[in-house]
Amino acid sequence: MSESPDVKVAPWTGPQRPYDILKEGTIALVVVAILTIGLAIVFSSPDDPQVTVQQWSTKAPIDFAQTALSELNGTSGTAQYGAPYNTASPGQKLGPFTLAKWLGATIPVNTVRDFVIDPLTDQPPTPTLSAALAQWKGAGAGQRTAWLDAYTKASSKMTFANGTVSVPTTAAGPVPVMINSLEQMARSGALDQALVTQSGFYTSNYTLPLLFLADGSYLGDLAQQRHLLGSQWGMMNETGSYPGQAWLWLYTFWYQIPPFSTSTNADVEVSAVMALLSVLLLLVPFIPGLRSIPRWTRVYRLIWRDHYRSQSA
Amino acid sequence: MAETLLAALVSLDGTGHYFHWHWIDISYANLTVIILMVVVFVVALFLPFPGRRNKKETR
Repeated sequence: MSESPDVKVAPWTGPQRPYDILKEGTIALVVVAILTIGLAIVFSSPDDPQVTVQQWSTKAPIDFAQTALSELNGTSGTAQYGAPYNTASPGQKLGPFTLAKWLGATIPVNTVRDFVIDPLTDQPPTPTLSAALAQWKGAGAGQRTAWLDAYTKASSKMTFANGTVSVPTTAAGPVPVMINSLEQMARSGALDQALVTQSGFYTSNYTLPLLFLADGSYLGDLAQQRHLLGSQWGMMNETGSYPGQAWLWLYTFWYQIPPFSTSTNADVEVSAVMALLSVLLLLVPFIPGLRSIPRWTRVYRLIWRDHYRSQSA
Repeated sequence: MAETLLAALVSLDGTGHYFHWHWIDISYANLTVIILMVVVFVVALFLPFPGRRNKKETR
């Protein structure tokens, strides 16, 4: 059996010349450093202000209150996400493999406790809020559900005026006071602090405020305006007119086409496709056909054209 | 004062512009970077190696 011309290559017996890789590397480093510093001076870098819960509740108070309600009644995206936050659903799957479920709820989030009850409990107590929290904590699951159902049914007629959220119902027990108190806490900026400091005083863990923000539509609307949604190739984009992560084009490309664009397991499926492609790239020297592309395209003859010209002369 | 010193000479904080064709949606900023990368690659193919004429090959 004859060997492939990509494998059976005659050893080089032609001329050789010295090559100083340290010199080349130093030149490349200096050129890239000058380019980086020069471009930073001319264009600076993206500096979009942080989106906060305070900003959200001030600019979209109804959306905030509706989201707070969804955290209480368990219908929010976080409450129903599954692993790594809870066990409400199997989470992302790859075919029959429930990968997220296998890893479990490694970052446990109880939306009722973490987003509503604990922050309200940490507030300086007022008689109204203390009574509402005591009523909530003293009630059974059935009673809480009845209050939440009454509030949820009336929430389509929710209004906001003079800093107060109003819902036309009298059967919601302490829920109106809790939602209103959380709204006021959010608008004062105290909720941002309370959500961050739950994991210690000095922390950079923004998981809770980010999840809370993502459950509403305010953050998604901002992302859409800035072309940052997954469906807008957002993984590649930066805020403003800055170039973004262009090298992620292939990763985000899969999200734009079926079946990934309509799949609820797109994240894990796209990761699997990219892992497969990465393995193929590593194995290029062993894959017939793929490894012959450099020989067929003959780009190497363009790079070493002087040598091949002298050979044919 | 510090803000003036740290501000970019050319601000790119304005609204981005995007090239949209069928399902392809790419910012002009990214498109510019990609075109520049392709140009650098092609130029690197055709430019002669620096100092090639002066270097002696050895056997």
